[in-house]
Formats: sequence, structure tokens, C-alpha cells
Amino acid sequence: MSDEQTKLIQEAVAKALAGNMDMINNIEDRVTRSKAKAALVKAKREAKKGAATSEETPSEEIVQAESPPEKSLNQKVAEAIEKKFPASLAGDDVDGHIQLTGANWFEIAHYLKDNPDFLFDSLQCVTGFDLGIENDLEVRYNLHSMTHNHTIEIRIQTDRKNPKIPSVEQVWRIGDWFERETYDMYGIIFEGHRNMTRILLPDDWEGWPLRKDYETQETYHGIVVQKVKDGWE
Amino acid sequence: MGIVHGDLMTLNIGPQHPSTHGVLRLKVKTDGEIIADVEPVIGYLHRCFEKHCENVTYDQVIPYTDRCDYIAAMNNNFGYAVAVEELMDLKVPERVEYIRVIVSELNRIASHLLALGTFGLDVGAFTPFLYMFRDRERILDLFEVLCGARLLYNYIWVGGLSHDFPNGFEEKIIDFLDYFEPQLDEYNNILTFNKIFIERTADVGVMPAEVAISYGVSGPNLRGSGVKWDLRKDDPYSIYDKFDFNIPVGTGTVGTIGDCWDRYYVRMLEMSESINIVRQAIKALPSGDVHQALPKKIRPPKGSVYKRTESPRGDLGYYIESDGSPIPYRLKMRSPAFTALSVMGEISSGWMMSDVLAILGSLDIVLGEIDR
Repeated sequence: MSDEQTKLIQEAVAKALAGNMDMINNIEDRVTRSKAKAALVKAKREAKKGAATSEETPSEEIVQAESPPEKSLNQKVAEAIEKKFPASLAGDDVDGHIQLTGANWFEIAHYLKDNPDFLFDSLQCVTGFDLGIENDLEVRYNLHSMTHNHTIEIRIQTDRKNPKIPSVEQVWRIGDWFERETYDMYGIIFEGHRNMTRILLPDDWEGWPLRKDYETQETYHGIVVQKVKDGWE
Repeated sequence: MGIVHGDLMTLNIGPQHPSTHGVLRLKVKTDGEIIADVEPVIGYLHRCFEKHCENVTYDQVIPYTDRCDYIAAMNNNFGYAVAVEELMDLKVPERVEYIRVIVSELNRIASHLLALGTFGLDVGAFTPFLYMFRDRERILDLFEVLCGARLLYNYIWVGGLSHDFPNGFEEKIIDFLDYFEPQLDEYNNILTFNKIFIERTADVGVMPAEVAISYGVSGPNLRGSGVKWDLRKDDPYSIYDKFDFNIPVGTGTVGTIGDCWDRYYVRMLEMSESINIVRQAIKALPSGDVHQALPKKIRPPKGSVYKRTESPRGDLGYYIESDGSPIPYRLKMRSPAFTALSVMGEISSGWMMSDVLAILGSLDIVLGEIDR
């Protein structure tokens, strides 16, 4: 990365943190733009961490004192998981989704499917996700219960260099194809999957197309792949 | 894999085959006339839908959704528009909602007509196919009057519609419904209760409800297995809670619950429910400006949404993540035909060679949507 680029990114991130996203969005080069966005996510995370450590106990006390009358489904599920499988939750924030570390995911999935309170018998969607070219990959599971008619979203992050997540193919059978598709697009290996092969792309395809740092191969079977022009003319 | 079965024969159906409804290859392992295993091989129509979406603005995605499920493009537009509107917290005018429901239900009828017609064709009934295509053509003509396109409409936009109804369009729809309703009896006479058709489809390819749910099968295929689940009723979006309609489920009238005939018949009954919904919607159609809520620039706030709608093939889901820019950061389409095809191996083993195409036809898949 050239100095000029680094400077541009730093400037853009500083502005974005102040609430002005225009500079980042106006960066013309696509790679630089995504790098800037990745840097922004990182900066925000660090800021959050810093804030969390600086004001430790007081905020927790306030939350406990209020004690909301009705727990949301996410809170119930998170508590049940924490009770049965300690240390598998990543982060306390269960607003909107539940973040897991990935450890025991297969057992947790079984538990969520069979527990009479939740009965998540249907895996709706598995979405691969790239958090930015310097960050981790993520997989998002949307679960749904036919009996109770409720839904939750579960997210699991995995290392970009060596992405591995336990497979839930034998819990929900549709996981088979969904996980193959995610592997196809992101290169995330689902451990325990019985047929981890590409599904939409040809078997000899190189690279993981939906990663943000994907670069098109130059030739495919001796055919020169034309460069895609950036943006519209 | 890797095990050599001495007496199993591998047979390829497709990729180019008239009964695969697109470019699909089925690797069939047979033991004589009996199917041991079916493995669908897909990806021949992969066009990088999700990668394209990360490079175009939110409104430019809509024509791509048309091309995913080209049989029911209105419903695909609808699902996408609803998802983005939920992300933006946008409220659309009442008239827009009604028109969306009318065109989606008409498109559902057209899609089911194609599904049933080609299903009949797959099991050897040629005439019903022509009858159904004749009537489907009238719906496509209506859409042509409405937006100029016969299959790829780009009609439902985020926050509104591309055009309002032309003058006198409501009467045209009513005329069509009056013509079409008696045709359903004709289809029943000519195909549904035809003895040969029942012999070919009843008790064939039975899909138990647990299998269907585990494989994520949805829509008419799931209802054919006796599960009363329809997003229009169970998780109503848009204004579907204002209409009075039934959800037909498979009852095993001529065979077992969840066989090919049940999946067929659920679609047949659903068409009359759709007629019912369109009639109610036209009666209550309010006036208003369909362009009033169209946003100048679509820039959803940061966040993600997973929104499901009921397309003719089942639960069509869009997972959209926004980073606050005019371009989606990630867009995933959960296609109902994808999940329906994945169950193919499970429900066809043990049946005869000639049943494979009957089972495939009864699942009503569209390869454009499976491969995206």
C-alpha cells in the first residue's frame, strides 16, 4: 500500500468516525474503498472496547436494577446456551442476533432443535459474510421454529487464514447444500460435512469469489478472462 | 463416494433434457429399474447474482431479481422491495400495496399454470399443457399492457411501482378472472382426475412432513405434505392480513399425503385462492399516487435484515446487509427452489426410473433461481 493511499484511508476513517461517510463512499478505487471500510470497522471496534473497559461496573448495575419484565427470545436462547454450554457465547450483546464462538456449535444446534422451549426445526438461511479484507469471515444462520413461529439469528466468526466451523448438516439436512454454497463462495470449511465440494462453481475454480479481496483469475482453461471495468461508463 | 457398487448403473439425465426445466443434470444410480440414489448437479446457470449486487446500487438490483426467477418475476421484485423497505423503515402508500398484491397473485397464477402444465407434459399429458399455456398467455398480455414486458417486469420498485395501472385495467383483470375461473373445472376434468394421471402421480415420491421441514422445503411442496404453513397468513407482510383466503394443504385424496398428486393439487387449489384475493383487492383498491414514496436515493442505514415472502415456489428470503452506502454490502437470496431440489435424492430413492421425472416435475423448480 502506498503512503498516499494510507494517508487517504486514515483521513477518510477519521471523518467517518465523526459521522461523515461521504468521503469513504466517494473513494473511486474499489480496493482502496473497501480497505478504508475495513479500517473503519476496526477503529469502531477498538473504540467500543475502550469504552467498555473504562466504565466497568456501574453500567452493569444499572442494567440489573432495571430488570425488564419480559425477556426477549434472544435473551432466553442466549441464557439457555450459556447455562448448558459455558463459554460458547461471544459477546453479551444479544440485541438482534446471538454471537457464538463456534465451539460446540454442532451440539448447540442439536440442543436448539430439540429443546421444547425453542424447537428450531427449520434452518432458513445460511449467509457467508466477509467483515472486510483485514478482518474475519463470518457465517450467519437464520433459524425458525414451525411450532412456535419464532426466529433467531446466530453468527459465528472464524479466522480468515484458516476458516473452520463445525458443520450442522446432520442437524438440519438443508445445511448440506447451504454449507456447500458458503464453502463455494468464501472457502469456509465446515468440519464434519460429508461432501465438502463446490456446488455452483466448477470444481477447478480458483479462489473464493464473494470474499472482498477476490481477484479474477487471468486465464481459465486457456481462455483469457476479460478484465471487468470498474464502475459504469 | 469412492465405493464401487458392482451392480449399480449410473445414468445421466441432462444437462440438456426437455424435462429438467432448465439446465440441470441428475446423476441417477439405478439398480435395474429401481432408483438407488439421485444426485442433482447444479450451477450451469450460475451468473454471480450476489457478486453483481455488491457492485450496483439498490435500485439496480431489481432487474437482476427478475432474472433469477423468470417465471414469477413480480414476486421476486416484491420480496426484494419489501426487504429493502424494512431496512429503510419506509412506508409505502396504500394503493401501491394493493397493486403489488394484485400483480403478485396474478403472477402466482401464471407461475402455477406453467408448473402444472409442464408437470402434465412430463408424465405424458400434452393437451392440458396447451390449455394452460393459452391461459397463462392472457396474464402475460395483461402484464405487457401494464409495464411493457412479458416476463422480466422490473415493475415493483423500492418504495413504489414503475407505473400506475393504465385506464380501464381493473376491468381487464376482472374480465380475465371471469374467463379463467371456469377453466379450472376444465383442467380438473382433463388432467387432475384423469385416471392415467392419477396412476402416474398418486403414491409416488411421498415426502413426509419432517423430511420436508428438515430440508427447508417450503411453499406448495411443504403444504402438499400436509403442513399448514403460508407466510401470507403466518407471518403476514404487506397487506395480506386484510384478505380472507384459505390455505389448501395436501390431504392424500387419491393416495398418500405428500405424494406428487398432492403437490399438484395444492397448486390447483391455490389458483382459486389467488383469484379470490385479486377480486377482494380490486374491490378495495384505493386511489393515490404510486410514485409518492419513491426515495430519491436509496441509502438504508447500517444494519441487516432477513425478510421472507411467499413466492409461488415457497419462502423467498433476502438477507441484506447495509453499511450506509448506496450499494449493498452483502445480499444473499435464499431461493425456495434451491431447497426444494435438495430433497430430490431423499424422496426419489426406491421409486422406478419413470417416476424420477414425475417427482422432479412435481417440485416445480426454476433453475435460474437455483443457480442465481
